[in-house]
Amino acid sequence: MSDVTETESLSEPIADIIDNPVSGIDQTAGNFSYKMEYEFDAGTGLSEQTVRYISGVKKEAPWILEFRLNALKQFFAKPMPTHWATKDLENINFDKIRYYLSSGQKPKRTWDEVPDDIKKTFERLGIPEHERKFLAGVEAQFDSEAAYSNIKDVVAKQGVIFVNSTEGLREHPEIFRKYFGKVIPTGDNKFSALNSAVFSGGSFIYVPKGVKVAMPLQAYFRINAENFGQFERTLIIADEGAEVVYMEGCTAPKFSTSTLHSAVVELVALKGAKIQYITVQNWANNVFNLVTKRGVAHEDAEIKWIDCNIGSRLTMKYPGVVLKGERARGEVISIALANDGQHQDTGAKMIHAANNTTSNIVAKSISVGQGRSTYRGVVHIPKHLKGCKNNTECDALLINPNSRTDTYPAITVRGERNAVQHEASVSKVSEEQIFYMQQRGLTEGQAMSLSVNGFINDLARQFPMEYSVELKRLIDLEMEGSVG
Amino acid sequence: MSQLEIKDLHVSIGEKQIVKGLTLTVRSGEVHALMGPNGTGKSTLAKAVAGHPSFTITSGDILLDGKSILPMQPDERARAGLFLAFQYPSEIPGVSIANFLRAAVQARLGEGEELDATAYYKRLYSKMDMLQIDRKFTSRAINDGFSGGEKKRCEILQMAMLEPKFALMDETDSGLDIDALRIVADGVNALRSTNLGVLMITHYQRLLGYIVPDHVHVMWDGRIVKSGDKSLALELEAKGYDWVKNELVPA
Amino acid sequence: MPDSVSTLSPAATDSFTDEMFATHLASVSHLPAWWLDRKRDAWARFKTLPLPKRTDESWRFATLSGLKLDGYVMPKAVTSAELGHASIGIAKAGKLVLANNRLVSHEPISAELAKRGVIFETLQTALLKHGDLVKSHLLAPAPKQGSEKFTALHTAFLDDGAFVYLPQGVDLMESLAVFHYAAGAGAAVFPHTLVIAEQNARATVVDFFRSAGAGAHFACGRNDLYASHGAQLTYVAAQTWSRETLSFQVNSTVARRDARVQSLNLHLGGHQSRHESHSQLQAPGAHSEMLALTVAHGTQEFDQRTLQIHQAPHTSSNLLYKNALLDQTKTIFSGLIVVDPDAQKTDAYQSNRNLMLSDEAEANSLPGLEIQANDVRCTHGATTSRIDPEQEFYLQARGIAKEAADELLIFGFFEEVLSKLDNEPLHDALRDLITIKIKQPAIAAKAE
Repeated sequence: MSDVTETESLSEPIADIIDNPVSGIDQTAGNFSYKMEYEFDAGTGLSEQTVRYISGVKKEAPWILEFRLNALKQFFAKPMPTHWATKDLENINFDKIRYYLSSGQKPKRTWDEVPDDIKKTFERLGIPEHERKFLAGVEAQFDSEAAYSNIKDVVAKQGVIFVNSTEGLREHPEIFRKYFGKVIPTGDNKFSALNSAVFSGGSFIYVPKGVKVAMPLQAYFRINAENFGQFERTLIIADEGAEVVYMEGCTAPKFSTSTLHSAVVELVALKGAKIQYITVQNWANNVFNLVTKRGVAHEDAEIKWIDCNIGSRLTMKYPGVVLKGERARGEVISIALANDGQHQDTGAKMIHAANNTTSNIVAKSISVGQGRSTYRGVVHIPKHLKGCKNNTECDALLINPNSRTDTYPAITVRGERNAVQHEASVSKVSEEQIFYMQQRGLTEGQAMSLSVNGFINDLARQFPMEYSVELKRLIDLEMEGSVG
Repeated sequence: MSQLEIKDLHVSIGEKQIVKGLTLTVRSGEVHALMGPNGTGKSTLAKAVAGHPSFTITSGDILLDGKSILPMQPDERARAGLFLAFQYPSEIPGVSIANFLRAAVQARLGEGEELDATAYYKRLYSKMDMLQIDRKFTSRAINDGFSGGEKKRCEILQMAMLEPKFALMDETDSGLDIDALRIVADGVNALRSTNLGVLMITHYQRLLGYIVPDHVHVMWDGRIVKSGDKSLALELEAKGYDWVKNELVPA
Repeated sequence: MPDSVSTLSPAATDSFTDEMFATHLASVSHLPAWWLDRKRDAWARFKTLPLPKRTDESWRFATLSGLKLDGYVMPKAVTSAELGHASIGIAKAGKLVLANNRLVSHEPISAELAKRGVIFETLQTALLKHGDLVKSHLLAPAPKQGSEKFTALHTAFLDDGAFVYLPQGVDLMESLAVFHYAAGAGAAVFPHTLVIAEQNARATVVDFFRSAGAGAHFACGRNDLYASHGAQLTYVAAQTWSRETLSFQVNSTVARRDARVQSLNLHLGGHQSRHESHSQLQAPGAHSEMLALTVAHGTQEFDQRTLQIHQAPHTSSNLLYKNALLDQTKTIFSGLIVVDPDAQKTDAYQSNRNLMLSDEAEANSLPGLEIQANDVRCTHGATTSRIDPEQEFYLQARGIAKEAADELLIFGFFEEVLSKLDNEPLHDALRDLITIKIKQPAIAAKAE
């Protein structure tokens, strides 16, 4: 391991970036990589051998290898979903991707033990500092495996388990196996099948009955290598009455070739439990980000996804909640920002499966330049249920004359005892507003930033403070030069 | 001569008890004012008397001329002579006021009896003139896109057309400017007669300057805590609801 | 969501064979060569195009197993006496009655209108007198909304229909009415109405789709509306096919500068009905109002797909589709507003309201937007709910019994659409059709 390689189009001086390490979601801040010598490398391309290699280095139980091989078959069998999704998917070359890269399977418990270059990476991204300030636990994944994983003693003593997927399945099968792959079956879609075949890393969390984790748990996902595919797998189980907030952030350097990130995230909120899952996605804009996220909410439970997509070339992600128990609640708060060359294809799925369940979707997107943001949603209320309600609101803000936005909701309601409502609107930043602020002495760019921040303000406030400040900063950055 | 008796009424929404043993009798020809701060159960009382399905009467009774109305559907209560002037009248797109009122008047006729359309429109227009409502209104959908004042005038118009024995007027003055308030009050005063009993529900004394009540009741936490004549309203206005809380509510 | 039956047996299109097409071609050999060529091309296309598959987004939620094209025949001609046509109480400037793809009776427009250049004839008659006019507009390619196979079938078998031409500045006070009948067991009909309105012309055209008697019919129709600079068209389609009918209808509107088109589709009949409707707003000031009302009962399925395409700046469109669902019915509304790049100052609205009147009905709503210009006003909304209990209570509190209150509210729900028609007799005629269907569900299919 040695030299730092700054990748091409880096616009800001390096010093500025280093001076500002608390920039977990600033795209330029993530635009660096280290030349690594990986101890474990599954090579390029995908075959049964790749899968056996990954399972082998992880020393997995035979059932997991079986699970992976079955998933691989399904992945090969499934067509690309281009009958409804963008044709850009066809530009992914699965034969050129490296499916597993790591320097070992066991994460370190202290930052001192983490190899220098990896430690420096996360320091530049501000992770250790965040951890000290406001997190209950952190897992930092570098390519395929977590380099660092730790949970504060006070939380561990409450019986909270916070480990990576390999460790979760090996050390606590009695807890995790029951739900693993059950919320999102392998064959749910082509990319969930891919993840199921080659998954590595991610967080497995169990919060025992009645335990309310006071501070958030965080995972940070870092792609360092070129042509790499990251396939983390996350499973969070909140036992009866438990509460937990989980946050994830991610960055990658900007390579000239495309990178693939395809995660599967499963949440289980048992009776009366609450899970809040916050994502701030800021991949470099060469990353295909194709993620499947779904939670099951049992009786009186609540699952809330706060999903913020700023980076990537193409994101396809529709966090879902299956409302399985009576009075369960599901919510998706979605913010997407699509700049030139980006397509944010995001949304939500709400599947009502019990009486008196409620769901709420609020999606706001901002399209800048030739950026394209798409809202795709499913709301399903099947037969013989009563008292189910859904409310959906989609608002799109278009900054430049040819910015693009699409809305594709699909709503199915059976029976007369349920109510759904969907509303969507499209707007631009009004010239009057900009002029007014300019008249008060702001530049056009500042005025634009203020307006855009105003547009998402009600949603951004639902983020933890540290994130909402970053979000605002990032929007300021993206809005620079967007005018005219 | 009719009377509406509310006897030790208890009303709840779901698990929550709102009206907690309220007793009140209104006779034909009388105007009662029921005053109290927000959230004390005034509107709940009005809706419960009218038979709104969200409210459960857990005990007590409501008698109209000695007969309990509790087993009756909302429309049966209305035809028996109860009228609720809503605080927030529903907006019903697509149903014109003319059609709606004709259906309501028709519903009060006996089996096989046909509405005399000429007489009906004559009466409708005279009431509309009294309330200074433009005749074009009859073809508009009920309350759809109406201003606050228009909605309230439309409520009084319906009251005038349906000639109830008892009118429950729920915050009729809310959302009205002075001119609209005067028109509404004049309308109500014109309808005052020995055949009509009125229960006016209001937070403020303002309306009572225009429609002078015979009796005033102060409501607090689901019960009537003091009754008196019109001077009570003025006393309440002067001393405020803290006075009620501190001096009238039994500790 | 669970997969539904996704494949249809090859026998599914058995009704429409090469032999049947050859017989049809022979029967229309008098048509000009260009038309016959289009028929042959369309027939070839029909045979190549697959039936809708479960993975077709444009058929999402539709019951594909219901689209079997077997058991239908080219029907025999019927006489006016056999048909027993009953007209409708609206003032008419002219009337055409077609049954089984052929003219049955005709009330021509006045000599005065004819002198001013108004044409109201069957397609075949118009072809003889105004060949070029027909040729330049007939069966123009339309945006693809999923029914390409069925529009190909329509083109292949199109025999006769209605042709309306409104010269510059002509203003028709009364409606032009066209009745399209299907009669006899298994009758396959291909209704067609073509309306061309020149600059500043104004008219109302009404299509009635009816079955003569019960029985399974197959209807595969198309109507094309062209509104030139400043023209004003009102188009109404009242569909009351028999309860066993399988129906496809494609409605196409082209609005040029300052043209205003209002279309209202009333869907009452058929077992399974697919309706595609699109408006192309081609020049500044163009406006299209797209309205639809559906009353579904029994096991009826209504599948409605709409497109509002804004191709020029300063265009507007307004869509309101309302469905009332009873019994075990299913409706699908899939709408899309498309704003092309540079179509700034577009003002587009799209709304789908579903009124659930049964616990076993299913309403699907796919309200979509595709917007590539920023200075636009585009909103859409979709709601699905039962009768509002607060409104119900309000009416009850005025002494109206629950059933009567519900009826008032249901008609109020329709009235919001019907009242947009500025034509009282037509408004009343449509409301009567709805009343008949709501009050006598068992015989509504053949009523009217």
